[in-house]
Amino acid sequence: MTQQVLFYIFAALITLCSIGVITVRNPVTAAMYLVSDLFLLAGIYAMMQAHFVAAIQILVYAGAIVVLFIFVIMLLNLGPEARQRLKIPAPELAVLVITTIAFIGVAIMMTNGQPTVPVGALTPKAVQAAGGNTYVVGMVLFTKYLWPFELSSMLILLATIASVVIAKKDKAKAVKSTRKEQTLTSPAASSDCVEAAAPASLSNGKVVHGTR
Amino acid sequence: MVPVDNYLVLATVMFLCGTLGVLFRRNLIMVLMAIELMLNAVNLVFVAGSQALGNLDGQVMVFFIITVAACEAAVGLAMVIALFRRYGTIDTSFLRMLRG
Repeated sequence: MTQQVLFYIFAALITLCSIGVITVRNPVTAAMYLVSDLFLLAGIYAMMQAHFVAAIQILVYAGAIVVLFIFVIMLLNLGPEARQRLKIPAPELAVLVITTIAFIGVAIMMTNGQPTVPVGALTPKAVQAAGGNTYVVGMVLFTKYLWPFELSSMLILLATIASVVIAKKDKAKAVKSTRKEQTLTSPAASSDCVEAAAPASLSNGKVVHGTR
Repeated sequence: MVPVDNYLVLATVMFLCGTLGVLFRRNLIMVLMAIELMLNAVNLVFVAGSQALGNLDGQVMVFFIITVAACEAAVGLAMVIALFRRYGTIDTSFLRMLRG
């Protein structure tokens, strides 16, 4: 009974915070709403006896991802978004309507149907008896899901390298100036310089065209 | 013990909020935050299913989803920084170079 009441309180707060994230105009305020959203979700996970997931939620989501967001907001020095009239184009409206209908359908099916998968033995009580949630999740993670776990480390390595490469300072302008010098000195300029310089000039022209 | 339907309704509300944010916000960082919201809704469904079905695979899956979400946030924010550096804006109404 207390769990039910707590769940409703948490659910109401999560709904409010989610609406806050997408309606507030200041990005820092939105990040704060997101952080409270994630903390409340961690509370719900803890109530569901999923202690490992609750801890990971706070450590990784609230501790790392949101800090990264706030860091980027500060780095770009973003102010509140300018108030603009909300235009709702037809394709986006269609996506919204279809998503809503699909969700309502799935919710109805899930509330009326019975699970077709056989219910397993690892109910919260059984997990508690077998050594606690973290212990049992760790056992599953390092036996059944060992290979995906190792692959996820590759994914993280790849993402690290990718974000460093993407966020590195753009050298297109430097390449462009050296290319001019090279064409003056030697007619057979190296092809990779030309390739690197061409998209930069092309997209610069495009954005001028787009903003007008 | 809360019935599993309640979790599903809550996750639906969160996911719809995320969809609205992705579709209608113009700030790219806001769009990324809305994506995080959607991923969280999916996590909630996984944990609720894992609890209802007596099977811990859902919670392991949440671990992987959080890993992917962290990678996605890192790469996405790096792209936001690169875009801001080159064009001076992260407003999606100005970033339409790929428009045919």
